[in-house]
Amino acid sequence: MKSKILVLMVLVALVAAFTACGGSDSNTKKIGMVTDAGTIDDKSFNQGTWEGIVRAETELGIEKKYLKPSGTTTADYVREIANLYDAGYRFIVTPGFKFEQAIFEAQSRFPEARFVLLDGVPHAGDYNVVMGANTVSISFAEHQSGFLAGVATALQLQSGAVGFVGGMEIPPVQRFNWGFQQGVAYANANLGTTVTMDAQDVIYQGTFSDVAAGQQLAITMFDRGVKAIFAAAGGVGVGVINEAKARASQGQEIWVVGVDVDQFNDGIYSGTSSVILTSAMKRVDSAAFEMIRAHLENRFPGGQFMTMDATNNGIGIPAENPNLRPEVQAQIQDILAKLKSGTLTVSPEQGGLIK
Amino acid sequence: MNLILDIFPYAIAYTMPLLAAALGGLYSERSGVVNIGLEGLMVMGMFVSAITIAAFEPAIAVWTLARCQARGIDIVASPAEYQAIFNHFHAMVLWIGVLAGTLGATIFSLLHAFASVTLKANQVISGTAINMIAGAITVFLARTISGSGNISIKLGFLRGDVPVLSKIPLLGRLFFSQTYATTWLVLLILVVSWLLIYRTPFGLRLRSCGEHPQTADAAGINVYRVRYIAVMLSGAMAGLAGSVMLVTYAGEFTGSVAGMGFLALAALIFGQWKPLGILGATFFFGIAATIANVAPGIPRLSSIPEWILRIFPYVVTLVALMLFSKTSQAPRASGEAFDKGKR
Repeated sequence: MKSKILVLMVLVALVAAFTACGGSDSNTKKIGMVTDAGTIDDKSFNQGTWEGIVRAETELGIEKKYLKPSGTTTADYVREIANLYDAGYRFIVTPGFKFEQAIFEAQSRFPEARFVLLDGVPHAGDYNVVMGANTVSISFAEHQSGFLAGVATALQLQSGAVGFVGGMEIPPVQRFNWGFQQGVAYANANLGTTVTMDAQDVIYQGTFSDVAAGQQLAITMFDRGVKAIFAAAGGVGVGVINEAKARASQGQEIWVVGVDVDQFNDGIYSGTSSVILTSAMKRVDSAAFEMIRAHLENRFPGGQFMTMDATNNGIGIPAENPNLRPEVQAQIQDILAKLKSGTLTVSPEQGGLIK
Repeated sequence: MNLILDIFPYAIAYTMPLLAAALGGLYSERSGVVNIGLEGLMVMGMFVSAITIAAFEPAIAVWTLARCQARGIDIVASPAEYQAIFNHFHAMVLWIGVLAGTLGATIFSLLHAFASVTLKANQVISGTAINMIAGAITVFLARTISGSGNISIKLGFLRGDVPVLSKIPLLGRLFFSQTYATTWLVLLILVVSWLLIYRTPFGLRLRSCGEHPQTADAAGINVYRVRYIAVMLSGAMAGLAGSVMLVTYAGEFTGSVAGMGFLALAALIFGQWKPLGILGATFFFGIAATIANVAPGIPRLSSIPEWILRIFPYVVTLVALMLFSKTSQAPRASGEAFDKGKR
């Protein structure tokens, strides 16, 4: 008899659970994420996105879940998106351009769900962009981020040469480079610095993975007397940071400007000393957070391309970095305010800039 | 000319892992066992070395502080002394890592030895299996241990000028400035290898096993034992190569050595299975790759399309292999399993 009651109770509980899932009202608050290659604590896109979702949990009271695909193919991504959907998640965030084809498939397969694609645009693999009405594609104003980093670098160094090492010569990397050059030029023209940037010190290595080449490029630049390198180059940037760490621990005054996230910890070579002067960040966390908020307030901009820039706190440099003097940080805040108000503009085009 | 002077030390640094791996291939092939698995053995060496160093890294600061206290050094007042002690322990940890990587790959190479010597399996297939297993198992373990597929070390070896010798005009700048300690280790091993292979009874036995194992057997040499030792030496050298890559320029383990093992095999053939030939071949690769890497930043070279510089060493190797293939001096029994019963 006892066991029958138990079975009944379990059944009731199950039914209750399923009805709860079915209610569309509670689903609004379920926010899912599928991770890109790497882990949730990858100090990059995954972690940034997840931090935005966690913030939404505390401030907006959402329910969160992330799934980690077993591989990095489109099929792996779509499978996890489907799993989230089946579990009642109707709002799914995916970080990184690798999700472009997965979102292309998912947006038509799950028309009821909403998708946020960070740093990419949905297409079928042929780069013909097809935006579903339930998808928002977010890009970042890398040129503004690079600009702030360029100004900060110039202000901190005051004089001397700086360089740039990029990965592949693709628009986001190019915008970082052009923004950085404009930042240095701005500081020279308006803030009394005399930092130079030579054409031979602006290089796209061509991959995001060749660590050895990154190190050797850094060697040639540092040997020529370059004092800081802005590395927007993934694994190639790791090579640049490695070389800088080796030189810094032998007492040389050289720096690296990090990219995407605050790379301070990657540049630590001894104790708390880091070669990372500052980092040109893309705030994926606030992108994710803002989209969740828009979703909850029923103003989700489905079908649109969004740009995260200074006006919506989508880019910036870390607020804290012991390698920058406090007055430099203060000046950066001024410039950020000018970018926000529009009195200062940064061009996302090459124009007369190097490469 | 100035360009060559500038990049020479770094080309040497880039050459060393390649040289070590190719020497590993030399031992194995000279004993009659083809070792396609160099790539996998390098990955294994790099992996073991990376987890070892990553495990010991947090201890460096602790040891340094303890040593400072024991000697009564005030770390705030004399940061230079602190740094010197830190560097000492740091180098020690790196050497432990290199040793561990070498040993790890040696043990792993026993798989290849067991399959291709004891079980008389096809050596190419066994080597391919080594490559596949190494790539998979290390990434699996790295993910389990660190959560992501990468294991990075904080800081590799520091370069330094050799005292006195680096002051020699020209030569000093070419060979004795900005060198890694590991470079001298690999060069020492090269010299020892030459002596071992050409000037000792063991070397003669090794070579005879690779040329005609039946005759060697008839002369009373234990062919199985010699081949086991040769394959293990090969594993040790490949492991060393992977570790050297890690502690000089790679800085992190990412689950691959980007084809360096296969390049080492090509250098082995290009160098005609001779230690000095291998030195020449690997150095040629090293300098060509370095030029290709730094070319975009050198105005005079940046006018040459990058792809030409990048394919240059490979094209030259292909041409050289075609030219020399007639007179190729591969060990005659290389690739054949030894069967005592056959004559």
